[in-house]
Amino acid sequence: MNLDLFDDLNGFILRERENSLPSADNDLKTNNGSAVSRFPANTPLAMAYVPFQQWSSVYGDDDAFAAGTLFPDLDLPFMNGGNTR
Amino acid sequence: MNEKQLLLNKIKKYSFALKELNLYLDTHPNCRRALALFQQYKELRDKGENEFNEKFGPLTPEQSTCTQRWNWIDDPWPWERR
Repeated sequence: MNLDLFDDLNGFILRERENSLPSADNDLKTNNGSAVSRFPANTPLAMAYVPFQQWSSVYGDDDAFAAGTLFPDLDLPFMNGGNTR
Repeated sequence: MNEKQLLLNKIKKYSFALKELNLYLDTHPNCRRALALFQQYKELRDKGENEFNEKFGPLTPEQSTCTQRWNWIDDPWPWERR
């Protein structure tokens, strides 16, 4: 067993906690520039959440077919590094 | 790409957009913008399918409109693509 993996476990947990707190990527900017978390104020920890999709722009039928989704919001690099076409 | 393939591709893309909007509307049944786009694509798809039906024959047995003979069995079948 490679114990090196666990050397920085405390640091890892700390970083994960920091990343999970409302900041940078998890925040949405409102019109007046203030940041709003994607999560309600009293979101319990240790639960898994799926953000509800909101209507935004859509691809045309050509781009949608090529991307595999009509919604740019869902066009995520799941196959990063793989053959996407 | 010949006209038949172009038309088929268009129908395929419209159908994909329709399926995407179908799935979106399943969870957002009151979204009017999605509903409007669904109707738009449905019209485009139906137009495309009618055009295909007239020029190259039915895509499904139900689309067969010929009153003289059962043209669903006419060549070419998908695996006989030329």
